[in-house]
Amino acid sequence: MKDTAEQVIDRSAKTVVSFFVASAGLWLLAAALLAYIAAAKLTDPFFLSSCEFLTYGKVKVAQANAFVYGWGGNSIFAATLWILARLSQVEVRGRIMLLFSGVLWNLAISFGLLGILDGHMNAHEMLEMPTVVWPVLFISYAIIAFLALVIHRSRKHSDTIAPQWFILASLIWFPALFLIAWNGLEINPARGTLPSVLSLWFGQSLIWLWLTPMALGAAYYVIPTILGRPIDKYYLAIFGFWCIAALAPWSVVHHLEGGPVPMWIPAIGTVMSIAMIFPIAVASTNFHATAFKDISKVWSNLPLRFVIFGTISYTLSSYIGVIFSLPDVAKLTQFSIINEFHFNQRVYGFFSMIIFGVVYHMLPKITGKEISKSAKSFHFWTSAFGVLILLLAYLIGGLTHGVLAQQPSLDWSSSVISSVQPYFKITKYAFVILGFSQLVFVINIWKVIFPNPFACCFTSSIEKKGKTA
Amino acid sequence: MDNIFKFSFGILATLAFAWLAFVVGANLQYGDLSPEAENFEDDGSRPPDAELYPKDMSGLAKQGAEEYLALGCVSCHTQQVRLFTKKDANGKKVVEAGFDIQRGWGKRASMPRDYILQDHVMLGNTRIGPDLANFGMNEKDNDWLHRHLFEPQSLVPDSICPPSPFLYEVSDEPKDGSIMVDSHDGEDEGNPKTRYVFPSIRANRIVGYLKALKQDYELPELPFVKAKEEKSDSNVITTQGIPDWVRYPVPSSVLTDLSSQMSAGKEVYTKIGPGGGGCVTCHQPTGLGLPVAFPPLAGSDWVNGDKDRLIKISLFGLMGEIEVNGVKFNGAMPAPGTPPGSLTDQQIADVLTFVRNSWGNSASAVSPSEVSEVRASLKDRVATQMWTAAELTSHSKPAQ
Repeated sequence: MKDTAEQVIDRSAKTVVSFFVASAGLWLLAAALLAYIAAAKLTDPFFLSSCEFLTYGKVKVAQANAFVYGWGGNSIFAATLWILARLSQVEVRGRIMLLFSGVLWNLAISFGLLGILDGHMNAHEMLEMPTVVWPVLFISYAIIAFLALVIHRSRKHSDTIAPQWFILASLIWFPALFLIAWNGLEINPARGTLPSVLSLWFGQSLIWLWLTPMALGAAYYVIPTILGRPIDKYYLAIFGFWCIAALAPWSVVHHLEGGPVPMWIPAIGTVMSIAMIFPIAVASTNFHATAFKDISKVWSNLPLRFVIFGTISYTLSSYIGVIFSLPDVAKLTQFSIINEFHFNQRVYGFFSMIIFGVVYHMLPKITGKEISKSAKSFHFWTSAFGVLILLLAYLIGGLTHGVLAQQPSLDWSSSVISSVQPYFKITKYAFVILGFSQLVFVINIWKVIFPNPFACCFTSSIEKKGKTA
Repeated sequence: MDNIFKFSFGILATLAFAWLAFVVGANLQYGDLSPEAENFEDDGSRPPDAELYPKDMSGLAKQGAEEYLALGCVSCHTQQVRLFTKKDANGKKVVEAGFDIQRGWGKRASMPRDYILQDHVMLGNTRIGPDLANFGMNEKDNDWLHRHLFEPQSLVPDSICPPSPFLYEVSDEPKDGSIMVDSHDGEDEGNPKTRYVFPSIRANRIVGYLKALKQDYELPELPFVKAKEEKSDSNVITTQGIPDWVRYPVPSSVLTDLSSQMSAGKEVYTKIGPGGGGCVTCHQPTGLGLPVAFPPLAGSDWVNGDKDRLIKISLFGLMGEIEVNGVKFNGAMPAPGTPPGSLTDQQIADVLTFVRNSWGNSASAVSPSEVSEVRASLKDRVATQMWTAAELTSHSKPAQ
């Protein structure tokens, strides 16, 4: 039987995508472990306190980096390559280079995280890994992005559609953001609070312009593909895309409200954050109007259920983000653990849930092996439950923290922080649930990627014999 | 949209706008901030011989900043006192104390200028611990800080700040230089255990850094918040008028006198021939002079020192042996100008202000009236009689 064009493409992507998905899974587990340690240290300050490598500050930073660059980066590479190859109807080429760059990327992150734990942290948000690893990360990223662009350039149809815009934009924005930040922080560093503005802008833009468009692009691809129906009100998508492109780079600096920077910097962020209502509404309409036409299928199809959970989370988190960017609200909550709410809502509730869905959709096609439905369902419920608990704890805890911190009569540690303590405890348990859930995810994907890990040499020799005979 | 190059151009252009604002624009607006006097004179000029703030940190404190960064303290501690404003009865925007100052975390909001001399600016974005921008102002002694660093719970029972025992040598017996701590770590929670800790060099650095964190000076853009009772609020809200340019750091160009003196002085310095000083021929555009032959002006103890001496040299010239920054030179410098000694009081004031504030020099400006005073006091001196270094050092005050 002759393979279909899709099968040829999937086979060409198999090794590379499997590699990226498998390593993304490992990073997810590493991040889960670090997240637990950090949360446990907040509830018991003596937990591991004698170990210098695991101070709260280091672990917190290492966790965010492992999550964004390890899990986020690897899963972005996997989803980008496969979706672009499928949409372009061409095979993935340069596989050796892709694998080589992938290994380099992962080695650089490992080295960078060890550097952070060993006390070589940088002071820049989401650029905390030691200076030496960044050129390596950049080069490996550039190779992967170039090969992904080669796939896109050799596409069969010259027309492009929404998933391609979002994914390509994410692919191109990350190195551009990085070069801007690297130039302003390392090559031509400015003095005073200028680098703080820039690094804050980079850290927030990374989520808005790298993770977010990737996840949106994946949703634009997966939802119509699985449902077999076009995106509802598709003509709005292009408006939504350019709104994000025009507004998101500005909307991220409202965190400096009242800080030692010129007043226009947070003000511009607030205005643009409010304007972000439009692109959020567009994406929300596109996804949910399409999904709700066939809601029973969304419910029964697990990859799609993950994706829709992510898109709903995106809509909610973005609207909540708009509320918290209003200056009067920002003054109350800007230094509270509400920041953790925003980060986890975006990278876990939104980005990761969509990526889980994409991986569950993609892996069976690539490997030809199904993942058991109950295992996926278990992963979904633990993830959804865990993330809900986590976000509620951070949201209510953050409001408590913010409001009490503004009462000068209350003592800091015995009144303000003590009142937030119960929420720290809840987040600790939420991270246990999430860690468990992520372990199930990794087992699920590793089982199909390496169905028979101890017999690989054995089977390949049988295949060879079969061929010669 | 379908052409990847046009598409890339579009999405990079949107990013470039934000870059233009947040990086290029912000840098143009306040990238040139420098240490400044606490207050300006009524005419907007810097008072002569005023102390300039912020001051640089000590070497120990700078090393401490590295340790603070490496341990990740910034994850829980911000270093920024926020500015709170509100509209008063007349609809005018006024500065109010705000929660941060009421909590005692500072005497005024932090300004961009406060951070210009720091190698690592760690503003932070989460306050699980208190703000530390003015931690050095609370006058805790070293022992208290070491106890807190070793085990915060020994001083603040409810603290969730993690202890840092790895910065200390711990023993059960006192030794020279060790500090007693009532440790709650361990099996017996109710009864604290007495331990003696000896701080490592790293602990001393961190303590040095924490004590150096203070914004305890006023700035022209924002004075301290003054306490003033207000009837409407039960809290003591403190208010004061807010000048239009508060919040916008004052770039050097606001000091109109200084900047016009600087540009006029530069012209005198570089121009050779009538109307110019021709200084550049010997002292070079770099202000470094030439080894052996001509002394440097950049970093020179003479240039940054006493003004009187400089004015005298500018009026009559200087000859013979002179020691600059510990290096001896032996030559002759005619009074600047063509013909020598022809510069006006204004020109001398300008060129001296220029050399005292260029190439890394930062000393007070020289005014024309100061020059005319010196000129008047020396009206009996023969115009061709150059000074010697010995004569100047014996006559005038020692270098500052």
